[in-house]
Amino acid sequence: MILTVTPNPALDKFYWLDHLPENLAPSEEGITIRAEKSLTSAGGKGINVSVFLASHGIETVAMGFLGGHTGQIILRDLLAKGVSANFVWIEGENRTNVALIVRGHEYHPIHIHEAGPPIPQEAQAMFLRKYERMLSRASFVVLAGVLPPGLSPDFYWDLAKRAREKGVRVIVHAGGEPLLRTFPARPFLVKPDVRETLQLGELPLRTEKEVIAAGRKAIESGAELCLISHQLTGDILVSADGVWKLEAKVPLSTFRNLVGADDALVGGILVGLVQGMDLLESVRYGMGAAVASAEVEEKFCLDKERILAEMQRVEVRRAE
Amino acid sequence: MRVRDFLRRDLSCLEKDTPLRQAIRFLEDSGLSSLPVVDEEGKVVGVISERDIIRALLPSYVDMLHSTSFLPSLDQLKKKLEEIGNHPVERYMTREVVAVQPEDTDLYAADLMLRKGLKQLPVVDREGRLVGVVRRIDLLSRL
Repeated sequence: MILTVTPNPALDKFYWLDHLPENLAPSEEGITIRAEKSLTSAGGKGINVSVFLASHGIETVAMGFLGGHTGQIILRDLLAKGVSANFVWIEGENRTNVALIVRGHEYHPIHIHEAGPPIPQEAQAMFLRKYERMLSRASFVVLAGVLPPGLSPDFYWDLAKRAREKGVRVIVHAGGEPLLRTFPARPFLVKPDVRETLQLGELPLRTEKEVIAAGRKAIESGAELCLISHQLTGDILVSADGVWKLEAKVPLSTFRNLVGADDALVGGILVGLVQGMDLLESVRYGMGAAVASAEVEEKFCLDKERILAEMQRVEVRRAE
Repeated sequence: MRVRDFLRRDLSCLEKDTPLRQAIRFLEDSGLSSLPVVDEEGKVVGVISERDIIRALLPSYVDMLHSTSFLPSLDQLKKKLEEIGNHPVERYMTREVVAVQPEDTDLYAADLMLRKGLKQLPVVDREGRLVGVVRRIDLLSRL
């Protein structure tokens, strides 16, 4: 079973627009933007990974904190998609994250993200007891997404340490300080979230050279593997044994919805590993899943044939 | 059809030492009429239902009279909740766990619910650990 932790779940709301108004300056009439199409689904990085895994028939349990009507909708969506749910209920309302996708500019969506409800101490204690129990059933745990108010930046480090003590492999799919602090707990794989800042700690991630240097730093600090996205269609995998560059040969114009593509990548890697592929093939499968998902309007492409076809277009080469 | 084909994979549950007042909030949030109670290993050791809690809040003479018509108001229940709200659910849960396994048939689950008068059943694996729940509506909606 693969356990995913999403401390800050969200209801993802996508709007597709023909165009954005050229002038967004305040006017007397206000500004109305009409969406051509919309889509709603349970979200948050760990939840997305669970949804992807469940679509492949892999047993997965999603954990985190739910609250309010939004929490009820998230739970209902997850259960309908075959994900086992083990959440702690809190006061307040889960966040709604909005993505505006303008036709012709699908690879540059506009995001509006809420902070999420604060997590009280009592709920954290309850969560930790549930987490400890679920660890005994898990082969992997995925710690994913931004932390909501009220959680310490050491939250993921604590969870990673507890998992490691029980021999469960940890994937950290997050960013900022909470990610950096997990390194001493020796996670199996770290996948830094670089959507908002192209940095890993103090290290910049603009060029290939910088990405490799940052990946090596992550390995020196304790992570076994570090996978960093480089430009939209590339990833760089760093381990103690070497560096590999992976490139999906696809034009950006084929992309329809990028939200969730990096979660499909992590989900795809796990599918590969669980199904017995070696590490590089698993990462290739993950990249195939990410590209195939970016090419459909729904959050994920669940067509395995299409994922395999995209996987074949992913080139791998060992870096110097 | 097997239980695994239509179970609700909701692992909402309470621990034995969860205070009764918190259990009420959890029942409300989960939308379920009862919640499994688990031990440290995640094994289901009891079930706490709305009915169990109401029974715990009612004065003991109601049981003897088989009627609540003698209650002057709900204030008595409120007072009782203040008194026992911090007690662990373990004290009030039903210890006889009526559960099904994922491999059981829909007919077996339906029969169990009817015979025992239950609105829902926990689903457990071979080790007795919670893997989901089956509600009456889950069966009805598939007819």
